[in-house]
Order: sequence, then C-alpha cells, then structure tokens
Amino acid sequence: MLGLNIQLLVAGLSVGSIYALVALGLVMTYKASDVLNFAQGEILTAGAYIALLFSVTLKFPYYQSFFLTIILISGLGILLERVAFRPLIMAPPFTIIIATLAVGQMIKNLIRLIWQSDVHRLSPPFRMAIWKWQDIRVNTQAVWVIACALIITGILAVFFRSSWLGKAMRSVSQNQQGARLMGISVERVFSLTWAISAALGAAAGILIAPLIGVYPDMGLVLVKAFVASIIGGFTSLAGAVVGGLVVGLIETFSGAYISSTFKEFVAFILLIVLLMFRPYGLFGAKQARRV
Amino acid sequence: MVLREAFDSKIGLLAIVVILLTLPWLLGSFYLYTLSLILVNVIIATGLNLLTGNAGQVSLCSSTFMAIGAYSAMVLNLKFGLTYWLALPLAGLIAAALGFGLGVPALRLRGYYLALATLAFLEIIQIVIQEASTLTGGVRGLLAPRPTFAGFKLNDQSFYYFILVITFLMIYIARNLLNSPLGRAFNAIRNSEAAAQALGISLAQVKVIAFTISAFYAGLAGGLYAPLVGFVDPVEFGLWTSIFHLTMIIVGGLGSLMGSVVGAVVITGLPEWLRGLKEYRDLASGAILLCFLIFMPTGIAGMWGRFHRPLDHISKETEVNGTRS
Repeated sequence: MLGLNIQLLVAGLSVGSIYALVALGLVMTYKASDVLNFAQGEILTAGAYIALLFSVTLKFPYYQSFFLTIILISGLGILLERVAFRPLIMAPPFTIIIATLAVGQMIKNLIRLIWQSDVHRLSPPFRMAIWKWQDIRVNTQAVWVIACALIITGILAVFFRSSWLGKAMRSVSQNQQGARLMGISVERVFSLTWAISAALGAAAGILIAPLIGVYPDMGLVLVKAFVASIIGGFTSLAGAVVGGLVVGLIETFSGAYISSTFKEFVAFILLIVLLMFRPYGLFGAKQARRV
Repeated sequence: MVLREAFDSKIGLLAIVVILLTLPWLLGSFYLYTLSLILVNVIIATGLNLLTGNAGQVSLCSSTFMAIGAYSAMVLNLKFGLTYWLALPLAGLIAAALGFGLGVPALRLRGYYLALATLAFLEIIQIVIQEASTLTGGVRGLLAPRPTFAGFKLNDQSFYYFILVITFLMIYIARNLLNSPLGRAFNAIRNSEAAAQALGISLAQVKVIAFTISAFYAGLAGGLYAPLVGFVDPVEFGLWTSIFHLTMIIVGGLGSLMGSVVGAVVITGLPEWLRGLKEYRDLASGAILLCFLIFMPTGIAGMWGRFHRPLDHISKETEVNGTRS
C-alpha cells in the first residue's frame, strides 16, 4: 500500500512538474506583456518534435539534442513575439486569444505536414527504465523530470532575484514606463521573456515525450497548465509551480482511487470552481478593476 | 455596404432570394452540399457575433453548443422516437438552457478568464459525449439520417430549402433584435460596462440573455448540421471548430450582422477556393486569420464601411478590437 502511494506520489509530482514548467512559461509572458499564450501547448509540441529531429534523425546524444532544441525553440519564441504579438501589444484579450490560437494552429499544421499524425517515440536518457526497491517501483524518467523541473525553477528563481536582466524583467512587469525611464529597453525584455517562456515550453516537451509519446496533439496539457496558473493567480511564478504540482497530484491520485473518467474531469472542474470563487488564485491578491 | 443596402432595399433582397432559390437547379450535389453548409454556418456566425461582436463576451465554446444541438436532435429523434420537426426546436432550446447555465457563472468573468471558463466547458462536454456512449455512440460517432416529411425522406434539394428558410428567419430575428433596446444594450455593455450600468442596463440580465440566444442559434445550427452531414462524432466539435466560427466573424466583421453572413460565406467557401493549396490549406487559413487581426481588425464589413459609410459606423465596430480606438 505504501509502495503504491509512493509510486503515485512520484508519478503525480512528475506530471505536475511538466504542468509547472508550462505554467511558468504562461505566467512569464502574461506578467511581462499581458499576453495569455494559447500557443504554449504547440510550443511544447514543437520542442518535442525538434528533439525528435536531433536525437532520432540526426542521431545526436540526448543532452546535446536537449540543449540545441531549447536554443532553437527560444528563437521561435522571439520570432513569434516580434512577428505576431508585438503588433497587437495594445489589443484587448479577445484579439490576443484568437491570435495565439491562430499561431498555435499554424505550428500544429506545420508539424502535421512534416511528420504526419503518427505517434513517435523519443527515448529517455537512462537505460534502466524502472528502479526497484522492495515493493516500490519508480520510473527513472519520472525522477529525471522532477529533477530537471527543480533545477530549471531554481535557476529561474536565482535569475530573477539577483541578475541584472532578471531585475530589469521584473521592473518591466511592474511599470513599463518607469522601466523605460531607467534606460531599460522594454522591447528587448519582451524578446527575452518570450525566449525564456518558449524555452520552458520546449523543456517540458522534451521531458514529457518519453512518458506520453510525440504526436501533434500532445500540446493539450496546456489546459492543465492553465489550471495550475490560475491556482497561482496568474501573476506568481512560485504559485504556478505549486499549482502545477497540486494539479498533477490531484489528477494522479483521483485516477487511482476514484476512477479514470473522474481523472479526466477533475482538472476542468477545478478550473471552473476556481474561476467562480477565487479567479485571482489561491495565492494571488484580488485586483481592483479600473473602470 | 452593398449587401446591407441590398438587404434593406426590397429589390436587392428579392434578387438574393431568387438567386438562392434557383441555385439548387444549377449546382451539382457537392456544391449544393457546400451551399447548405454555408447556410448552417451563417446561423452559427450570426449567433456568435451577437454574443462576441455585439455584447463583447469572449466564447471558445460555440462548437460545443453546436454539438449539444446536433446530439440532442439526433438522440431525441433516434432513441426517443420524437419526430425531427419537434426534435430540432427542442435541440435549440436544450442548447439555450445550457447556454443559460454557462452564462450565470460567466457573469463574474471577463477577458481571459471567461475564455478559460468556456474552454473548460468545451472540454467537459467533449468528455461527457465520449463517456455517455450508450446515447451518443461515444468516439465512434452517431449516424444522422435525413428527416422524413409525410412519409418521404427529404432529398438534398428540399433539405436545402428547409435550411434556407430557417437561415432567413434567424437573420431576420437577429436584425430585429439588434434594432431593439436589447440589441442596443448588447452594444452598450461591450463599449463600457460602467456606462451601461449607469444608464440602467442590468449587466447580469443582458449578459445571460446574450449567452442564451447565442447558444440557441448554435444549437439550432447543430440540429440542422447533423442530418446534413449524415454523421456526428465528438472530434468535429473540438476547439478548432470554435476557432473556425470565430474566424468567420472576425474576417466578416465583429458586431456587424452582414459581417456574420459575409464571413460565413467566405470562410466556409475558403477550402474550396484554396483547393490549389492542397495540404497547406489549414496553414493558410491560420495565416489569414492572423493577418486580419493585425491588419484589418474590423473585418471585411469594416473595410467596406470605411469607404461607403460615415464615421459613426466604424468607431462602433473598431472598439470591439480596440487596436485603433
């Protein structure tokens, strides 16, 4: 029984770490430029496919393809911001939702054109797939996902707290005009934000690929990441991470103890309940609305 | 607008009606099918534009209300033995009831949060349709037979005429609605909720009515869509279909009734016109949508209006998008 619970805990935390990485990417662009990126799921998909290209087609080692993919997808993030979203900087949410959805569909269609709709396999970095100890069996890829997410979150936290660029990014999200007056190039900060956000999506894509396979619709985890970001109030990076882990754990445990149908429902029910009663998140502060 | 003037003037309207009535004799069965599909999409676009374009409420679940309408009509018809002519209006009413049910919690939300709530609603209904497989056939889908009238099965042409009548009726209702106090209230809450409230408009009431009416339009369209296509399955009512509906009203023109009609015609016909592009079709339609958002946020109706109408019309339509306010 304990063994099962520990297995579920590891599985839940690993799925949750992926949600957390995607949610971090969402929250970053939202804080910086008020864009809620509905294409983040497709950026994740693109990351997984580019990794597939490097490691399967070009036969690069795992870690090399990991880093090359992240660099390439950051470039995609910068490109998207520059071409599609900067012209819409003053547009209301409606326009931005549709624009990001359009971009996401374009990425997905492009992937379908190149790779068709088959499910591909991306091999994990470790040869030993299951780690056994007494009655506890742990998937090594799950542990690797959790470790990676921890490291990435740690690097981000240090980056925002102590580096000059991180502070510049925080100042832009607080007050763009003030940041501009301090000599910070808001445009460059936007580019950097999108690069980091896309890199987070790509990392999530590479990490989740050995668990669920690589296919055009794998970006659907985005909806779970929305729930995670709402738990965090959409403005808190730490909240997004906690939210991701919470969603992952709730999903995994309800799948094991209630039913697999309920597992599919639970994230959406959580989303609607949260939106109705605490739309500013469990951690966020209620914001006054300007009329 | 040429089309608006055409609809306003008796002769223009008569010409359009005559053309639409004679087309079935001129077109082959495939083009007749496309034309019927365009009419169904005109109904959806009209309803969605009332909600999103006029009342300013973002909705990503128009396809879900269409699904609810399609499945209600078919389940009532096939499993409960109700005649299609009763099942169709009931399907619209069931969708409207669920639209009301979604509208009440949606009152507290706006912008991104409303979009997320409607997205969650879409996903939940998708799962419900897949799980309730004894009624809906689950992922395998459901065969949707053509309705019969007085013992005869409707053929393509007569079903086209039926859809045509419903489409004109729904456009007529929307036109009158937009000229009524309620329609003006829709536009008022989109432009400024605070100002509308100050004028004595009940925000909650108007928003819920907008959701309900829009869901009724989509549900009715779904009820027509199912026997037209002959088959329904949950996949075709996913998020992509909702985006397709939103594309129609953005390309046509937000907040403009003629925009809904023009957008539905252009976007439904687009796959036919882009046939030369073959597999790049979906990619191209995404690019077209993005270009419209960035360069022509008022849509075709807005562009036309800029050349043909005084400014008051444009300012009303631009404010939906805000890019040029």
